[in-house]
Amino acid sequence: MSARLEAFLARLYVDAEARTHFLADPIAAAQQAHLDPDEIAAVEKIDRLGLQMAATSFARKRHAKGDERRGAK
Amino acid sequence: MATALHDRVGLGWRPELAAGILSHLDRIDVVEVIADDWFDAPRKKRRALTTLAAQVPITLHGVALGPASCSPVETRRVDRMARLVNEVEPECWSEHLAFVRAGGIEIGHLAAPPRTIETVEATHRNLATAARIVGALPQIENIATLIDPPGSALPEPAWLRDIVLGSGCDLLLDLHNVHANTLNFGHDPHAFLHALPLDRVAAIHLAGGKWIGPEGRERLLDDHLHDVPDPVFALLEDVAAHTARPLTVILERDGEYPKMEDLLLQLDRARAALAAGRTRRAAQPV
Repeated sequence: MSARLEAFLARLYVDAEARTHFLADPIAAAQQAHLDPDEIAAVEKIDRLGLQMAATSFARKRHAKGDERRGAK
Repeated sequence: MATALHDRVGLGWRPELAAGILSHLDRIDVVEVIADDWFDAPRKKRRALTTLAAQVPITLHGVALGPASCSPVETRRVDRMARLVNEVEPECWSEHLAFVRAGGIEIGHLAAPPRTIETVEATHRNLATAARIVGALPQIENIATLIDPPGSALPEPAWLRDIVLGSGCDLLLDLHNVHANTLNFGHDPHAFLHALPLDRVAAIHLAGGKWIGPEGRERLLDDHLHDVPDPVFALLEDVAAHTARPLTVILERDGEYPKMEDLLLQLDRARAALAAGRTRRAAQPV
């Protein structure tokens, strides 16, 4: 498992369009990201509910931090 | 105020709690400060942190280094922690076993990496780098996750164990994160605890959360906006019953603040759980 997989997951967490594309065809999305065969097999079986929940939670955290920074100015 | 074995109980510093903390230091043994909130603070504000450290023991808790990653930690971020540690002289510093950025993308919070030998070894390298720059090993904290990381070959306790034993770091054991992860992914929380190297637990976090998600498929979110639930105090008692080390227990609350007295009562409850655990330990046959 590699830095490529982490980058792929990071994009799924923050990019709604990338997430939609992935959920429609996980193998194609993983191949486009140049994941290796083991990584492709792993993300094909991804915890879909957890992915959506995590992405929503991370988005709330990013927005809250943005609000904090704007409030501090 | 402290229980036997010099266990200590304290609170996470939040601006909204500042007045309450400062007027109740007789009931607070230690204060944990979010380091990242202070990296860019003006000197006058940082001096206030040093003044606080003269009144109560403080620890510095980082949230954005992301050492549990196949990518090297950014040394400029570690440098900032090193400068603050040098200036404030906390008892210790800590960080999370998470990745927070990858491929140029900032996730914005703590993400669980795939639990593999590769991430164990990469985390060891990152922790060694951080320790070299800061001048001290961090305590390292387990995180809560809403997603079971894909590609994980190791169960979470084994992954944590391998990281702790190979890095030399002590564990900052977040018991609400244990509670949430074991509930969310169908494991026994006490069995999870007993698979950890409990003699390496130096500190503990307590917090609360809420259930989210579609009906029948809810998961527990570690949001730090709710009181500590009973099962987490039970886990605390269990840890205290199975280690000889003194424990520093920190209550984390990030919002929806109750009255200060309610937070202090949760600290007292933590003390009671520690005492009960120590009593159980003392009663065990040698």
